[in-house]
Amino acid sequence: MNHGQQSGEAKHEDDAALTEFLASLMDYTPTIPDDLVEHYLAKSGFQCPDVRLIRLVAVATQKFVADVASDALQHCKARPAPVVKDKKQHKDKRLILTMEDLSKALREYGVNVKHPEYFADSPSTGMDPATRDE
Amino acid sequence: MTNGGGEGGSQRRELQGKRSISRGNDFAYAVIRMAAAQICESVEISSYQESQTREGLRFSSFQETALETLTDVVIQYIQNIGKTANFYANMAGRVEGNALDIVQALEDLGSGLGFDGAHDVDHCLADSGVVKDIIRYTGEAEEIPFVYSLPRFPFNRGKRPAPSFSEIGAEPPDEHIPIWLPAFPETKMSNGSEETNVDKIEGDVQSRENGPSLSSMQQSVDVDRLKVQKSMDQKDVQKPTEEPEPEGNPFLAAPLWVGEKNVSRVFPPSELTKEEIRTNHVPEKYMSKSHHIPALEAYALSDKINDKNRLAETEDGQKRDGGRTERALLRFKIGTRKASVCWTLNQCLEEKGWFQEDGYKREKKVEREEKRESIDADVK
Repeated sequence: MNHGQQSGEAKHEDDAALTEFLASLMDYTPTIPDDLVEHYLAKSGFQCPDVRLIRLVAVATQKFVADVASDALQHCKARPAPVVKDKKQHKDKRLILTMEDLSKALREYGVNVKHPEYFADSPSTGMDPATRDE
Repeated sequence: MTNGGGEGGSQRRELQGKRSISRGNDFAYAVIRMAAAQICESVEISSYQESQTREGLRFSSFQETALETLTDVVIQYIQNIGKTANFYANMAGRVEGNALDIVQALEDLGSGLGFDGAHDVDHCLADSGVVKDIIRYTGEAEEIPFVYSLPRFPFNRGKRPAPSFSEIGAEPPDEHIPIWLPAFPETKMSNGSEETNVDKIEGDVQSRENGPSLSSMQQSVDVDRLKVQKSMDQKDVQKPTEEPEPEGNPFLAAPLWVGEKNVSRVFPPSELTKEEIRTNHVPEKYMSKSHHIPALEAYALSDKINDKNRLAETEDGQKRDGGRTERALLRFKIGTRKASVCWTLNQCLEEKGWFQEDGYKREKKVEREEKRESIDADVK
């Protein structure tokens, strides 16, 4: 009996973290609106009347985007800075979220985003005129 | 945040075309895009400069295509969580999802990158490393509510089910129609005023953002619509017995029933001069056989467009004063290509000479307007 009670208590403790978190979620407003998350979840077949679960998904998504963005930021910062004059050495470098950084960051998460570098009008565009077949 | 440069115009057009296939819902897409931009803006890495001051580096701008790609990824991520969670729920024999289903889905999605305790297959789900990561995130990150206040989404409009016969209180017109089926839609006349009522109701609904839930709004709209329909039904039922209201729009008044109003009889004119005859119309035929006129008039109704055109031309020149009737005589000038159809029908019905030897030739000639006189000869 005691053992059963103890294991029951242990289980209860494990659940407690999750239940407490779900309760605290009602105070935290995720960036992605609840209705939108619910819409996309319903689109893929997941139905749930509980708002806390929707918020859980929204927070998880927010965390995912934040992780991706921080990785992209790391890549962007790690790129060698362009040559600047001595006077402007301490100027803040403006960081732009580019496709290159994003694709590198998403690569780790299993999302392959291959972005073509440029688009050409025809296969022979940009080639040396001497070698071009006409 | 401002849009960064670096993308060509053609590139953007190309990607927009591609994205229109995957992007179904523009409004939801735009909202997710803004939310993703907000989250990106809030991400910060601290760096130490030589002067030992901590700087928080943030994104100051983004490439348009990069943000759109990120939006697509976010949408796919949410849908993936939903699909996997639904899968786990169905595996457990449930229709509705559970918190543990979502935790399992998150574990599935996070297994590529790894999380604490991924190796432990038997661990309790509530104690999962994914949950702990999320708890840690919410503790550390600043709370960013969405920029705009959204109305309740998706906004359900016009999906009210049609009320059944029993709800209206009307009897179905025929025996074979059960009473629980939706009622027949109203005629055009009653629909005009009904729609204005419904539009007013919808206008009220839209103005409140944080109003009552959708179900109660729909109920109130349903009740109003039912009331309107009931009033329309009663009006419809009463129409044959009562006179139409003298007030109101005369163009929306109900059509007159047969015998309701005394209308003077139209007498056929005694003379139809040849001047009025067009090349493809033979009125003498009708003088000899008066019973043709109703038949022709019946077909004339189908040629209304042509008739109206000719009526406008001929009516002014042919009004006869005094004489037989007070009303101006209207002449129907029928005789277009369409009339060839009614001609063939007429011939089939009235003329037994159709199946004579000559009738076979005439069958072809009827199709053309110029050979009308030959038919006339046959009749005479």
